[in-house]
Amino acid sequence: MRLRLLLTAALVAPSAITARAADAPIANTPIPQVIDRYIDAAITEAGVTPAGQADDATLIRRLTLDLVGRIPTTREVDEYVASTDADKRAKLVDRLIASPGFARHQAALFEAMFNPEGNNRGSGGFRQYMTDAVRENKPWNRIFREVVVPDEADAKLKGAAEFIRGRLSDADKLTNDVSVAFFGVNVSCAQCHNHPLVTDWTQDHFYGMKMFVARTFDAGAFLGERGYGSIKYKPTKGPERTAKMMFLTGAVVEDPGKEPTADEQKKEKEALEKAKAAKTAPPAPKFSARAKLVEVALKDANAEFFAKNIVNRMWHRYFGSGFVNPLDQMHSENPPSHPELLAWLARDVAANGYDLKRLTRGLVLSKAYSRSSKYDSNPPDSKLFAVARLKPMTPNQLATSLKIAATDPAAFDGKKPDELEKMYEQAESSASGFARLIAQPTENFQIGVGEALLFSNGERVLKEFLTDGGNSALARTKAMKAPAEVAAFLVKTAYGRSATSDEVKAITTYVEKRKGREADAYRQVLWALVTGPEFRFSY
Amino acid sequence: MPAKRTFCGSPEHAVNRRAFLGAAGAAGATLAADMTQLDALASPAVNDALKKTQKRVILLWLAGGASQLETWDPKPGAPTGGPFRAIKTDVPGVAISELMPKMAQRMKHTCILRGLDTKNGDHGSAAVTMMRGRRNEAAIRYPDLGAVLAREMGRPDSKVPDYVSFYTQTEGRSMAPGDAGFLGARYAPMDLTTNNVPDFIRRLADITDLDHKERSDLRDVLGKQFAAGRHSETLGSQNEAYERVRGLMSSEKLFDVTQEPQKVRDRYGPGQFAEQTLIARRLVEAGVPFVRVGRAWWDSHGQNFETHQEMVPELDHVMATLIDDLKDRGMLDDVMIVTLSEFGRTPAINASLGRDHFASAWSSTITGCGIKGGSVYGKTDANGNKVVAEHVDAGSLFATIYEALGINPEKNYYYGSRPIPLVNPGIEPIKAVLK
Amino acid sequence: MPAPNPDTLKLAKDFSRPSIVFGVARKAGTGTIYLACSDFKVYAADITAAKFEPKELYGHESYATSVALAGTTLVSGGYDGKLMWWDTAAGKVARTTDAHAKWIRKVVASPDGKFVASVADDMACKVWDAGTGKLVHDLRGHKEKTPHDFTSMLYAVAYSADGSLLATGDKVGHVAVWDAKTGAQVGACEAPVMYTWDKQQRLHSIGGTRSLAFSPDGKQLAVGGMGKVGNIDHLEGKARVEVFDWKAGKQTAEFPGDKFAGLVNRLAWAPDGSWLLGAGGAGEGFLLFFDVAAKKTLRQEKVMMHVHDVDLSPDAKELVCVGHNKITVHKLG
Repeated sequence: MRLRLLLTAALVAPSAITARAADAPIANTPIPQVIDRYIDAAITEAGVTPAGQADDATLIRRLTLDLVGRIPTTREVDEYVASTDADKRAKLVDRLIASPGFARHQAALFEAMFNPEGNNRGSGGFRQYMTDAVRENKPWNRIFREVVVPDEADAKLKGAAEFIRGRLSDADKLTNDVSVAFFGVNVSCAQCHNHPLVTDWTQDHFYGMKMFVARTFDAGAFLGERGYGSIKYKPTKGPERTAKMMFLTGAVVEDPGKEPTADEQKKEKEALEKAKAAKTAPPAPKFSARAKLVEVALKDANAEFFAKNIVNRMWHRYFGSGFVNPLDQMHSENPPSHPELLAWLARDVAANGYDLKRLTRGLVLSKAYSRSSKYDSNPPDSKLFAVARLKPMTPNQLATSLKIAATDPAAFDGKKPDELEKMYEQAESSASGFARLIAQPTENFQIGVGEALLFSNGERVLKEFLTDGGNSALARTKAMKAPAEVAAFLVKTAYGRSATSDEVKAITTYVEKRKGREADAYRQVLWALVTGPEFRFSY
Repeated sequence: MPAKRTFCGSPEHAVNRRAFLGAAGAAGATLAADMTQLDALASPAVNDALKKTQKRVILLWLAGGASQLETWDPKPGAPTGGPFRAIKTDVPGVAISELMPKMAQRMKHTCILRGLDTKNGDHGSAAVTMMRGRRNEAAIRYPDLGAVLAREMGRPDSKVPDYVSFYTQTEGRSMAPGDAGFLGARYAPMDLTTNNVPDFIRRLADITDLDHKERSDLRDVLGKQFAAGRHSETLGSQNEAYERVRGLMSSEKLFDVTQEPQKVRDRYGPGQFAEQTLIARRLVEAGVPFVRVGRAWWDSHGQNFETHQEMVPELDHVMATLIDDLKDRGMLDDVMIVTLSEFGRTPAINASLGRDHFASAWSSTITGCGIKGGSVYGKTDANGNKVVAEHVDAGSLFATIYEALGINPEKNYYYGSRPIPLVNPGIEPIKAVLK
Repeated sequence: MPAPNPDTLKLAKDFSRPSIVFGVARKAGTGTIYLACSDFKVYAADITAAKFEPKELYGHESYATSVALAGTTLVSGGYDGKLMWWDTAAGKVARTTDAHAKWIRKVVASPDGKFVASVADDMACKVWDAGTGKLVHDLRGHKEKTPHDFTSMLYAVAYSADGSLLATGDKVGHVAVWDAKTGAQVGACEAPVMYTWDKQQRLHSIGGTRSLAFSPDGKQLAVGGMGKVGNIDHLEGKARVEVFDWKAGKQTAEFPGDKFAGLVNRLAWAPDGSWLLGAGGAGEGFLLFFDVAAKKTLRQEKVMMHVHDVDLSPDAKELVCVGHNKITVHKLG
């Protein structure tokens, strides 16, 4: 009861943004306009002044990191800043989304989302599947279907099965992970008891969801699924219950699955062994509970969970925080910061065939996205999205960006687009080993001293990023005479912008103290730049 | 400086100790202007908090599962009892295995929990549970004891690590890693596996100490420009991490056992476990809140008695020496020693004269801090097959440890907006063993 | 008379026991056996009786690990460090000796029954006058610590057939040969493979020389144990026997084992020296027969329990095995 009261209070608090119904944008309004209408309305209502728009150099860095997972080269920055094309931002976004780096980076993010614990991340077929899916711009509902009801006979789709395969030994985990990844709902609390804080989720929901996935089993080279199988559980109160097949909304599916007779079981076993011997997929059940889950979850009003979850997650990806946080806590007692906007975007993505590229493009072209991350006085409530958030780089972003920053910018000159793409890909793959030493950002992420020690005293940092051989940035400094010139060059290489006079002064002073050891000094300067917060974050 | 999160506006949350102490350490003018932090100074909660920082924990992690019957809960003469006798201790009525004569003379400092019933006999998942005081949920990885103490007791300006974990054997190492769970990398352990010196704590030969220091200063200067006007807890944590590097490097000597007088080294004796325990003592003395000394591998499926004949006397000697050493230094009231495994071993003796995995009735000990020395809590039946009185599970063990250290076990952390108490709701500390 | 062919080995009887039987001694020419058990007790039983009913004689204060018959005196040793002397004629404990500071692993009687030798984890082999119970020799030489600073263990002791020699074997594979009369050490052999020290994975050890037997002519000394172990949590090393020319300290034959895993806890030669028997086990047990001269394994037979000790009758026609909750009687010939 008390919780209900709190909830009511929260709804009138400024954190939950309401917009007048009359202002509701119509369906075919471009996404950025809708975003800005709602976000700006809430900012105005809260009576705060939002941060201004980020400058061009900042924006291309942010877009390049967010969309393709690396910092831009100085050339990319310079061209963007210099361009007077009124449409340059949209053109940049389209170029980046169309590039192979987009598929690779987004796939890595999806993989981390599907596999937050990080086991075997990056190596398996799932990453390849997601990379292909992003490149082909597969609709999100199709990805859902292919992951939950994988067609392993198709070599191109087999990787999708790894999500389920990795959880076969733990149906409770599979239940929860499916629910978290696709519906933004963590039902694990309801496994042992009705949720103590959230009335939405009861044990019936947990076991109801489990009924959809628990009939899956390992049939050797393929996943198998039985057409029957029940789950009994002991509620905290009352007698043992048999779980109904039930979606999060409470929608119950009629389950035709009956326990097989001894004869049927025998036949089933024979069929399984036959399939195993022939190395073909085991016979599919007449009634597939997993297929039913996909059907039910996408049906009519039920699809709200599915659509809102992907919108919330994509928003979090580009804005550094969701409308609902944590991302797996979408329920009535954790209301979104912008309920109408979330609902609009969810309807929009569903109405447009769950086209994630379209959604992404819409998000990053909004003014809300391109705000500055700087705010000199006390910042407004972060839920207003009035100031851009700092986003710590992912391991891949950081390691790949270090490679780019350590490279002489001239190495990217005079290259054709596909040659450049190859260079970026090469930077990414050569950095992947180092990336494994870096922690994946999580909710409330804090950088540990382990990372600072690694960068301060790790030999790999020195050998992989601070060498002065070949076409490295440090090699280039050898020909430079004045420390001020080197300072400007290194700041530009690392940060993609011109050095400030204070920076030039600090660096020059540092270098001049090391007369005769300039090479060492420059290496140390580059170290100081790339270990700094301006490098570590997408800002 | 990290922006503070306040979840419900309660004064308890406003007293963000880490932020407070960070401000004191960094002596930042902007921070002094923050009135909530000045208020915090006067708050009893902060005084409590400062008191807490004196507490430390050394966890002797007996990986693989030490036998309770050959250590803390002997059953001489029972069919399951094995060959070793029980001996009297300095606490009337309390007997332990004859393999532990030195601890027998020091039981007045130690509390034995004989009623552990933790349900899980699988090395990996049981270790995860016993390191955290509860099972991970499907979607929540809880912080382990070390990470919680790092958070509760660690100081952002500290020149020593918050959480150090030794685990040199390879068996079982990957099953019981130190893990900060949802608290994240900031509270992750400094892991020592291949040797007794942490990774990356030593300056590379290619840079002079002066350059190393000034390079770091240059980083700070350049970073300040960026940080101005930017408000992010993650940003704060990065700067905090780099600020600690030089201090931590100076702590390298703490890991160097040769810095200790030969007399003290002789007292601990030779061997890796003894050396690492001595290093653990050096670390807690220097202010490290939590050190785990992992001693693997006790998994005596064959030749249980031979294995314990080797390993228990070592434990006996090292633990007794540690108690004496802490006592001599006046630290026993502030340093807690815990012995814990993922589970114990079966009373039944198998054909290989081994004992197998057993989680239904086994033992752990807590020494020092706010624990009642000489107490025994929990009683097992004549053959050691089950707990007949005073059950303890992982949760109540952890609640007891927290309570003894002056940490409220009901204190909440927040995973996003979800409050997560240090122990699961409804779990109580064992009052009987608390002073 | 030639010893019976191992091929003729067959199980005649088996009995269940509620405890683990660590030691057996048989009154030659009769069905009477004495048993040392994990319930701390020493029993007498008749394997020829219609109903097998072991009778409790007396008890130690810990595991009774070994029994030996010296004439009519039964001597037992245990983890309590005590030797207990039972007068089989009078049916009473004649004497209890605080023999060792640590756990007694094995007690043997000299062939003429005049002496008894005991080994314990205090790393001493003590020779006793069987009649008076007086200490005759305190043989020292086995190191108290392993090279890895853990306490060592002294597992095995054996007399030569003529009683002139004693051999003792410890945890790290060191075997000493002593002049039984003077107590002087006269030889040494090393079987290091039988000791597995796991430095990296688990940081403790397993193994040891668990059994010793001189050939009837006293020239060869067989040593039993287990080969190197990968996972020392288990008795998974191969059952292993090495034979030495003990005077030269040189290995003359090696049976690394190819079928059974586990410890060879007991060795016995056929009276004519034509074969060597090794018995032991892990989860289950085994009997191994070797032709030492030909360096050939003759037979490897599974036994239903981990075998801790055997009694081979003087004519080698009957074999009593004792071990984990079971006793078996095998016939040969």
